[in-house]
Amino acid sequence: MALPSSTPETGQDLLFDRSGRTQWRLGFDRAAGWLLPLLFLVAIIPILDLVYYVGAQALPTLSLAVITNTNPRDPYALGVPIESTVEVMLWATAVAVALGLFGGVATAEFLGERAAGWMRMSANLLVGTPSVVLGYFGYFALVLGLGWGLSFVAGATTLAFFMTPYIFRVTDLAYSSIPRPIREAALGAGARPYQYVVKVAAPIAFPQILNGVFLAVAIGVGETAPIVLTSTHSVIVPPTLFSPVTFLTAAIWLNFSQPPGPALALAFQAAFLVLIVVVALNIVVRIISARYQKRLEGLYQ
Amino acid sequence: MSATPTPDTGASREPLPPPASGPPDLEVRTGSFRPSHLIPFVPALVPTALLIAIVVELLISSKFTNFGLAFWGPHWIPSPSTGAPTFGIAVFITGSFLTAIPALLLALLIGIGIAVASTSYLPRWLTRWLDPFVDLLAGIPSIVYGIWGYLLVAPFFGTVINPVIYHNFHWVPGFGAPAPAVEGVGLPVAIFILMLMALPITTLLIRDALRAVPRDLWEAGLGLGATRWETTRRVAIPYAMRGIVSAGFLGFGRAFGETVMVAMVLNVVPAFPLNFYSGTSTMAAEMFTQLDSAYGNGQFLAALSEMALVLLAISLVVNIVGRRLISRFATYDVPGL
Repeated sequence: MALPSSTPETGQDLLFDRSGRTQWRLGFDRAAGWLLPLLFLVAIIPILDLVYYVGAQALPTLSLAVITNTNPRDPYALGVPIESTVEVMLWATAVAVALGLFGGVATAEFLGERAAGWMRMSANLLVGTPSVVLGYFGYFALVLGLGWGLSFVAGATTLAFFMTPYIFRVTDLAYSSIPRPIREAALGAGARPYQYVVKVAAPIAFPQILNGVFLAVAIGVGETAPIVLTSTHSVIVPPTLFSPVTFLTAAIWLNFSQPPGPALALAFQAAFLVLIVVVALNIVVRIISARYQKRLEGLYQ
Repeated sequence: MSATPTPDTGASREPLPPPASGPPDLEVRTGSFRPSHLIPFVPALVPTALLIAIVVELLISSKFTNFGLAFWGPHWIPSPSTGAPTFGIAVFITGSFLTAIPALLLALLIGIGIAVASTSYLPRWLTRWLDPFVDLLAGIPSIVYGIWGYLLVAPFFGTVINPVIYHNFHWVPGFGAPAPAVEGVGLPVAIFILMLMALPITTLLIRDALRAVPRDLWEAGLGLGATRWETTRRVAIPYAMRGIVSAGFLGFGRAFGETVMVAMVLNVVPAFPLNFYSGTSTMAAEMFTQLDSAYGNGQFLAALSEMALVLLAISLVVNIVGRRLISRFATYDVPGL
């Protein structure tokens, strides 16, 4: 016997409720399905607009001659901030890797759960610390406290402190997420802890740590406050550790409010270079990260 | 001993040592304690030590100067022509909240919308391409936001958006005269770009929280005849509430501490805003722009350090609350998270 598809008294549809309320509910759901994805435009339009605007302003004046121009008598030579940035980043990355890498390994491998939790929380809080506060720390502790003055070494070290927690967290995560059986196998086969850390775990953790270093470099290159507060403007590449140093972002900060001219052009060129480096590093980080996840999943099988 | 192995009968084994009295010695691997065993623990202290060093150094550089109640007052006159300087940070605290809270609310609303679209409505192949755009917003340096905001977005606000708001809402208190300037720098631009900067954090955390909703719950909701929207609204979002609140705190932390971008587009002046379109100052922006002028002025430097401590304290509290709400993060790949 077939089921009745409607009640004889009212004629209301039992299988398909066609009342106004249901129509409204379905219509609302459908409308949400079309309207909510439009919110992606709030993110996508600004990002494309920003990249296009900075690129359109910078590219016409950008050439190899401009990039390699380190003439000390030209106050708007782009080569000086580029070279200074590379040097500062080398110093800052070296210090940050030294602190973050050893710290992360030690936290993941040698600390108890409770102490490691404290360290991780501290690293997270450092990431959440406003960059201007770190700049102040660098200014008071390094520039004034240690008497380094507004200098390359003060600026680069402050930047290193800024980058350290990122490298720390990634190293800690990379070592902590190595499958436990691998660790047990290594230690059970008689490896000393440091042998496990260096010979067994390091090759597995390496891609992710490298990833963290890239991320930290991307963040450091784009940071302004720590270096502007702890160093002062210079039109030459610093000859000594204690000379003032400029930075790509510092060049933007100095020149962004100038009228159109060589100063503003320098700001845009610097902004474009920073943007390209940062976006490229971010994309590389995502690609490596996705591959590493697959590899790590493979380890579990 | 012959060359051919003989089966081990056990008879040739040495006798077992007599059983030791007391608990067995478990220190096989590490041996007895030596001070050098502490060496691995030293580098592990880096983050906590750095955090403590920051607080201690700021305390020292403030020289524990007591500015009294005036420190929380509205008068910030670091170098007056006559009389003693006054250091009151009420303007900057107000400015920080006045920019960060609207930006956060916008970022939360839009973030929830994007996250819901991404988890409930759009197909996977599409979100794989769209989600990275949102995450990329986090990677853009704040100074690049600043130059873009100062030269492109601010004039747009000054010539298009602010006049429209002024024209239609000038009777609302706070939105009236003085009329907005065409340069456009001021609160609306700062709030808009802060929203963009907080958006990736809120979106990512909410997306994670929604993805963590068990599949059973989704299926139960849909199976009972609820639409996707109703399932999201009544099942998934309540389940993910902790993640959403945490997104609010961490997004607020990001917007609250933002320095360079705000210093560029807010039209920084150490005064309460006259109206919606005018400039004011935030703690971070004021600290960033005033350190130069404080050089050699002990009281000024002390006041700035104490302001840094206030900013740090608020950031720490907000971050601790935000982090405690969720047990773990899906990714460290997004800057600032």
